[in-house]
Amino acid sequence: MSFLVLIPLLPLLGFLINGIGFRRIPKNLVGIIGSAGPVAAFALSVYAFISFQAQGSAPIHVHLFDWITVGTLNIPFAFQIDQLSLLMLLIITGVGSLIHIYSVGYMHHDEGFGKFFAFLNLFLFFMLLLVMGSNFVIMFIGWEGVGLCSYLLIGFWNKNTNYNNAARKAFIMNRIGDLGYLLGIFLIIQQFGAVEYAVVFEKAATMAVDSPAIVAITMLLFVGAMGKSAQIPLYTWLPDAMAGPTPVSALIHAATMVTAGIYMVIRSNVFYSLAPDTLDLIAIVGLATALLGASIGLFQNDIKKVLAYSTVSQLGYMFLGLGVMAYSPSFFHVMTHAFFKALLFLGAGSVIHAMSDEQDIRKMGGLRHKLPVTFATFVVATIAISGIPPFSGFFSKDDILANVYQHSKIMWGLGVLGSVMTSFYMFRLLFLTFFGTFRGTKQQEHHLHESPLSMTLPLVVLAVLSAVGGFLNVPEALFGSMKLSGFMAPLYELAAKANPVAFAHQHLSHTQEYVLMGVSVGAALLAALGAYVVFVVKKSVPAADGQETGLQKLVYNKYYVDEAYDAIFVKSMRTASDLAYSFGEFMIDLVVNGTGKVVKNAAAKLRLLQNGATSFYVFMMVLGITVIMLWNFWIK
Amino acid sequence: MLPIVLLSVFGIVVLFLGFSKSKNILLPATLLFLLVTLIANFVDWNHQYLYFNDMLWGNNASMVFSGIVLLSAFFVVALTRGFEQEGEAAQPAEYYGIMLFSLVGAIMMISYENLIILFVGVEILSVSIYILTGSDKRNLRSNEAALKYFLMGAFATGIMLFGMALMYGATGSFVISDISEIIGTRAWNEQSQLLYAGLLMLLVGLLFKVSAAPFHFWTPDVYDGAPTIFTAYMSTIVKTAGFAALYRLLAGSLASLQDYWFATLATITVLTLLAGNVTAVYQTSFKRMLAYSSISHAGYLLIALTSLTAKSQSSILFYSLAYSLSTVSAFGVLILVSQQQASNNYDAFNGLAKKNPFLAFVLAVSMLSLAGIPLTAGFMGKLFVFTDAAQKGTIWLLVVAILASAIGIYYYFRVLIAAYFKEGDLATIRIAPFYKVVLIIVTTLTIVLGLFPDLVLQLV
Repeated sequence: MSFLVLIPLLPLLGFLINGIGFRRIPKNLVGIIGSAGPVAAFALSVYAFISFQAQGSAPIHVHLFDWITVGTLNIPFAFQIDQLSLLMLLIITGVGSLIHIYSVGYMHHDEGFGKFFAFLNLFLFFMLLLVMGSNFVIMFIGWEGVGLCSYLLIGFWNKNTNYNNAARKAFIMNRIGDLGYLLGIFLIIQQFGAVEYAVVFEKAATMAVDSPAIVAITMLLFVGAMGKSAQIPLYTWLPDAMAGPTPVSALIHAATMVTAGIYMVIRSNVFYSLAPDTLDLIAIVGLATALLGASIGLFQNDIKKVLAYSTVSQLGYMFLGLGVMAYSPSFFHVMTHAFFKALLFLGAGSVIHAMSDEQDIRKMGGLRHKLPVTFATFVVATIAISGIPPFSGFFSKDDILANVYQHSKIMWGLGVLGSVMTSFYMFRLLFLTFFGTFRGTKQQEHHLHESPLSMTLPLVVLAVLSAVGGFLNVPEALFGSMKLSGFMAPLYELAAKANPVAFAHQHLSHTQEYVLMGVSVGAALLAALGAYVVFVVKKSVPAADGQETGLQKLVYNKYYVDEAYDAIFVKSMRTASDLAYSFGEFMIDLVVNGTGKVVKNAAAKLRLLQNGATSFYVFMMVLGITVIMLWNFWIK
Repeated sequence: MLPIVLLSVFGIVVLFLGFSKSKNILLPATLLFLLVTLIANFVDWNHQYLYFNDMLWGNNASMVFSGIVLLSAFFVVALTRGFEQEGEAAQPAEYYGIMLFSLVGAIMMISYENLIILFVGVEILSVSIYILTGSDKRNLRSNEAALKYFLMGAFATGIMLFGMALMYGATGSFVISDISEIIGTRAWNEQSQLLYAGLLMLLVGLLFKVSAAPFHFWTPDVYDGAPTIFTAYMSTIVKTAGFAALYRLLAGSLASLQDYWFATLATITVLTLLAGNVTAVYQTSFKRMLAYSSISHAGYLLIALTSLTAKSQSSILFYSLAYSLSTVSAFGVLILVSQQQASNNYDAFNGLAKKNPFLAFVLAVSMLSLAGIPLTAGFMGKLFVFTDAAQKGTIWLLVVAILASAIGIYYYFRVLIAAYFKEGDLATIRIAPFYKVVLIIVTTLTIVLGLFPDLVLQLV
């Protein structure tokens, strides 16, 4: 299975070629090189998937070399290929390839075309490292690497100060999370003396439920996930991250990187299954994030901002699922979300492309005639995300909600509320953008055009996936066989052995499932209908900036969380840093300049000894010899 | 033995070549001779040899030391191309001949078994260097430097010879393994006072050669006055040979007396470190700074010597190599710049990087290595030397050394600041291709050894 090494290596190669030669390589070639790596990696991933199943679905361990050996701690550079990493591989390289192809069209007029592909390839490399690594340290390399690429790509148009600030915000927020993740790794090393998944989990499985070490490790790792997967309280960077080019938003800030936290939790399911307290926290944080994101999404007018808050909210659902130990359903949602959210972002990109970089939905309207392909695919995605059957979002969200219902009925109710909001803001977006009459300038209207094939092709592929993706895991109530969950089941065997109580589910009866489905689908349909009435029948358009009132104003301004963070953390940090700076400036100057002065003065004195007179030099030598003799023979 | 014979013969051949009309043949011939000798130097690889009635002894380590000396000589000779065009005053045949002869002395200093050979080696090397220092005959400062060096050198040689005589009186032998045996039979506080007096004087004589304080006063004046190319020559070759000789003496025959000489040598080490580093701060001339830098590096090397652990030899060896490489490239750049600017001062380097990025880079690597910044050979050298001190447990010495090297950064970086950050009107300097190749090799070696020090260490 040594070809597995090629999967991350090919994008890295693309990065090196385009990164070094982006000034010289012609644009067409840049696009081909940039896309060839991901496509080839996808082909290899498919091949890996097939051969994995052919050989009986046992985890494959590819040892490349011993990387760090300190005392008894050995950290190899190795890959582990199992159900989880294979699925992630397919998502990353599959969706990644589509987005690369899309970017060829989308970024074609950008002067940083080569640089863009280089960064995008580098991102893929790190993301693949993240999911393929066989220990926490390799995962951490990927974890940091994708953070770096995210930073580079958010600030891709670095002539704009706001974009740079957004990039910095993302980076710093992620760093806060990374600190938690890193401490988690340290604690793992301290507890288990190893970082390899196989070794660590084997040892962890023998520990008691809720033992303090496990709770601490899971909490710290979850802090990392909060940063990377934009959960409360570290979510504010993700909406700002929309400053990057739209393909980046689709790939990094919707489909792949932000799901790293979910990957990590599922990967460490042995830990988490042993820490019900942490799980409860994750469920609460996830649910709160889902609701908060959805509610903010209700009133946003920037097409990408709506999608960004929608991403935050959907990630919240995934964590809600993880919190009730619905690992496979959460992962299922990662997958369907990758399809329809990437599609939504790419569709939004296509709209923005057509609208000459306009992102405000109040200035759009009626685009369905001019952008038929984009419109059709956008509709598919909207239905999918709103959880309306038979499209993919319905199955995955329903799967999570059913599990949540078993855990707590209140949480389920709130979850349904969230999906009502989801459905409303998504249909609001759809109607405001594609229905009604055009509200932009004449010039924009004149420019309206459907995007080139390299952009619409990925849209169509993703639309198909969004439509049928759900059939991968059809519940038994709907005469399915839960294929995906079955495939992923071996991942939890160890955890189930370690904590059998937590895994002892009683299944919902089919009637109960029908009722739950009925309620959530009905609510979503009602919300969609509401949106139709407000935005199509009544043709109302959101108020201009600054004219919102009351609750609407509060939500529109994202509950003033950014402002609060600014006042509480940034300002106080600044003050502290100013203080430390002026103190340090004074003290360090004193010490440094003082030392410098002393040395200089000494030098000025010592220099005088060098007076050029040979007799003096000889005298000094004689003096030296005399002192040595005296000291050695009489004094000592 | 072979390199000594070869160098003597080649030296005479070069003198005869000087009679021929075409002077152009001299440099390639000398380089070829050095290369042949360098290869011949290793014929006894993996053997311990004793030659000349057991007066010359050697093993792999001493062959590597000789190799370093020969390699440095090769580089410096290669750089004389920049020096050669100095008109009628230059007499290349004599200089090349003397350089080859001086190497005979250096190799004898490295691989002596008998103190007589040490003395002869020191004299051969010193006398050659006196002449080379004064080779710029019409330059008053060159003459002054030569005379000063000769006077003080003669004085130091006298002391050293006196020391040898006293040791002979105490032990009845000049052979260092015999001396070691005789000393080994008695505890250090039961030895005769004659031996101690001899030992100390012998040390003083050798410490003078490596410019340890307080016997270092000649160094700045002589380095400054001598033609730059010969300053490069003596600061690399004399230093390496001197430390090899000191190590051979201390490890080969006086190791059992470490408790006795340790305090003296440690004091001298500290004095050397301070005198070199502190005084260097005040210099305005780059060349003179390099002289003080050479004193301070003698201080670092003395740390390894003072500690005298099992690894001291390889530390000294690696450090000498690292120091020689960086010094060659520093002087190589200085020669070019001072030819252009007619000045050796720091401000002659102003704006070097703008038109001469290659020279600036060579200079930067060399300064970083001398200052002991990681990824250069100089860092590894310092690391090994400091490790020796730590193993011996002399933490206070280590603290002084680290403070001293902090001071070092100040004066080494001054020239880099001038080269990279100051405005200047330095035009593009033409570099002869061969000259450039030497600079590239030396710089590359400095970086490679900084990354893979084992390349050299595993030889010993």
